[in-house]
Amino acid sequence: MAVYKLTYKGHKGASTPAWSRFLIPARYNYAKLTGIRFLMLFVTVSLFYPVGAAIYVYLSANSVFLTSMGFSPFEIDGEFFYTFCRIQGVLSYLLMAFISPSLVSWDISNGALQLYFCRPFSRLEYVLGKLSVLLPMLSILTWIPALILFAIKSSISEWSWTTENWWLARSVLLGLMLWCVLLSLIGLAVSATVKRRVAAGGLILAIYFGGTGLAGAINLVMGIESGSLFDLTRVTQTIWADLLRYDNGSNMTVSSAWIALCIVTALCLWLLNRRIRSFEVIK
Amino acid sequence: MSQDRITFDNVSRFYGEVLGVNRVTLSIPPGITSLVGPNGSGKTTLLNLMTGLVRPTEGDIRILGIEPRDPRKMFRMVGYSTQFDSFPRGATGRGFIYSFLRLFGYPSSKASALTAEALDVVHLTDAADRKIAGYSKGMRQRVKLAQAIAHDPQVLVLDEPLNGLDPLVRAETLTLFRKYAAEGRHVFVSTHILHEVDMISDQFILLSNGYVVAEGQIQDVRSEIREHPLQVTIRCKQPHALASKVFEMDHVVEVRLHPDGKGVLVLTRAAELFYRKLNHIAMGDFGVESIAPADDTVKSVYEYLIGEESQR
Amino acid sequence: MEIIELSGLSVRFGKREILSDLRTTLSSRSVGLLGPNGAGKSTLIQALLGFCPVSAGTASILGLDIKRDRSRIRSFVGYMPENDALIANMTAVSMVRMMGELSGMEPKAALERAHEVLFYVGLGEARYRELGTYSLGMRQLAKLAQAIVHGPKLLILDEPTNGLDPPARQRMIRLIHEMIDSGEMHVVICSHLLGDVEETCEEVLILKLGRIVHHSNLAEERLANKRFVEIETLGELRGFGDMLAGLGCPCTVDVKGRFKLELPSDFDMRKIYGLAAERDLQLRRVSYRQDTLEEIFLKAMEA
Repeated sequence: MAVYKLTYKGHKGASTPAWSRFLIPARYNYAKLTGIRFLMLFVTVSLFYPVGAAIYVYLSANSVFLTSMGFSPFEIDGEFFYTFCRIQGVLSYLLMAFISPSLVSWDISNGALQLYFCRPFSRLEYVLGKLSVLLPMLSILTWIPALILFAIKSSISEWSWTTENWWLARSVLLGLMLWCVLLSLIGLAVSATVKRRVAAGGLILAIYFGGTGLAGAINLVMGIESGSLFDLTRVTQTIWADLLRYDNGSNMTVSSAWIALCIVTALCLWLLNRRIRSFEVIK
Repeated sequence: MSQDRITFDNVSRFYGEVLGVNRVTLSIPPGITSLVGPNGSGKTTLLNLMTGLVRPTEGDIRILGIEPRDPRKMFRMVGYSTQFDSFPRGATGRGFIYSFLRLFGYPSSKASALTAEALDVVHLTDAADRKIAGYSKGMRQRVKLAQAIAHDPQVLVLDEPLNGLDPLVRAETLTLFRKYAAEGRHVFVSTHILHEVDMISDQFILLSNGYVVAEGQIQDVRSEIREHPLQVTIRCKQPHALASKVFEMDHVVEVRLHPDGKGVLVLTRAAELFYRKLNHIAMGDFGVESIAPADDTVKSVYEYLIGEESQR
Repeated sequence: MEIIELSGLSVRFGKREILSDLRTTLSSRSVGLLGPNGAGKSTLIQALLGFCPVSAGTASILGLDIKRDRSRIRSFVGYMPENDALIANMTAVSMVRMMGELSGMEPKAALERAHEVLFYVGLGEARYRELGTYSLGMRQLAKLAQAIVHGPKLLILDEPTNGLDPPARQRMIRLIHEMIDSGEMHVVICSHLLGDVEETCEEVLILKLGRIVHHSNLAEERLANKRFVEIETLGELRGFGDMLAGLGCPCTVDVKGRFKLELPSDFDMRKIYGLAAERDLQLRRVSYRQDTLEEIFLKAMEA
């Protein structure tokens, strides 16, 4: 016989390894995100093109079938992957614009960040945790299907094709990974800076879609070409085209595109660091 | 004499179906009156009714004989400090109070002088020309108070005026209230800090769920609550012996021995008889060291009449 | 047993020195941190938690240096901030669970303990609701829950009763008392409400303009100073003061009609009761005067 009173009891238990703790917020974020139907639908729809592309790749090896249908045979080359990058690039950007604001703003809007940092949890771990939500989801839309397409083509072609074209795999992997990292940084930096979720999402979209207009306006007004560096699409497409050895008719130099990319990345990192630091140290 | 009182005559205020306050009848004399009650009990509604910011759906209110419906006369007499923390954008402390005074029709020089005085009273003169947006919580509270007292009102209505103030400033502000009360003004304070109510209030009003549950002076209200016998704590060297002796009085209904073995808690239905007899008992060999009422406070009244409400 | 030791701790923001050369040791189970606005209380807490850089000196919590062992300290400290701190789109259970895991608890233990702790603070029925729907009192309790979920050895509470109505305030104080009495942790309470601090704290540290102006153990100060007595009466008052003086006790009357006496040594209190019995006066209160925390505070401010 016993009576158990509800009093305060301490806690002594095992500790989880410190290095893995950055994944904890990620788990909770994933749990929330996977519950959003619209999001899961969007991801599914975004995979339609890769599936279509897979069929296309399959057909490319079957020139007999193609000629009988009246099409001329085609190659899987840099242009093919360039188009792939462009389309999946847009879709992944939209996904990022949808996810990023809700990743960070809930933590910032009610002063919750201080609760994270009064624990053995650093700013770096916080950002890594958010990245480990964004990067995998963006990867599913971008370089993972791209590499699968390459693998399909490689398996239905002769070995010589693979040896000649393995650089395609390397380039598309590099190009799309860069894209994923860039997107994640933009998403996190903007979401940490702009408090309200809808406004953050809007700004993220504006950076991409409005960038072209801004670049054009600058070029026109100042009569220069380098305004295009504000155009994120042009910058990344220039880099992709260079990596994939495809001439997309851009007159932007590759080196200036890389410089622009580095500047944007550095800007995002700086902004992110500043914003999160200011929540760690409450004035 | 209703000219020096704030009166509510069967006042009700509903917001559609939602109850603000219902059938409130009060007659508040000058001095410090505290308004206490749980969150959601209708305190803000009562204050808004008093300052004319909302009209009652039923009943009649008069502030020193004047109806709140006439804002021009009323606001000259009444100073109001709300619980809400919003100010005009970009205003400085001085600017805020000055423009407020100008709305009253004071000429520029008089308004500046009154502003300076009010700022001096709340000790904000140094920070007066900085933007309110940069003020700390305590400073914003003081600016609100300064705005409420600047035009020298006869009636001060203050919603949680001490929120966020440090102990020094609290003590000074309470002294200020006492000064106003001594001058014959009405100081009406809505608060959660019950022990300050005990310290300074002349009378109090207890609200719960939109109804007035008790009002008046604390001792009078306490003695009216007859279901709860008066509790008195006595510390002494011989608690057991004292307990037996005290039980000889038939109005004593309960005696509890203090866990530390050096005192008793006596519950009695007849306070006066008890205290009179206690003097005689204390002359005995019980070693009575101290006597103190255990539940003569607003806090106890609050507990008896409202109790601890469960979290919703 | 030292809980917190300050050895010349100084903090500077730009040119302004916020904390100057703090030196003391805090060793009770419950410590009250007091001071006027701008005294540096929040800065001290932030420095101890490692949120702001220390410009000179050091400090240690339970023997660990705040600079070198920051991570370890954070794993056994619980912090309840003054301002709003919650993740509005998570349920109470989720947030408290996550905070437990971030402090190093295993997921299963964190889940069990989250429920336990939420029941303990009184949010049992509401724990599956999103925090954004909570009232102010509930948010304060949720903040407390996340501060204690990992069983901290040191709990820092910043204005724990802020904005709470009387029943909620009483509940909070009762919880704090229970946690202190359980002996499982030490508590530092930072508050403007001296009444709350007096009720819960054994030791007080008072700051002013970044310096320590008072540090004492309230429990020791409460050892009654039996020479000074205060009497409140109901009934015929005239002459009572003189009669008390006639007994050998110098006596003054204050604004509220209370008598303040100084008793000569070996004075028999029964003489006072006899006097009151003669005059049929009701002695409603007879108590030994001790410096209340308010008086200690005001004295410290004048220093």
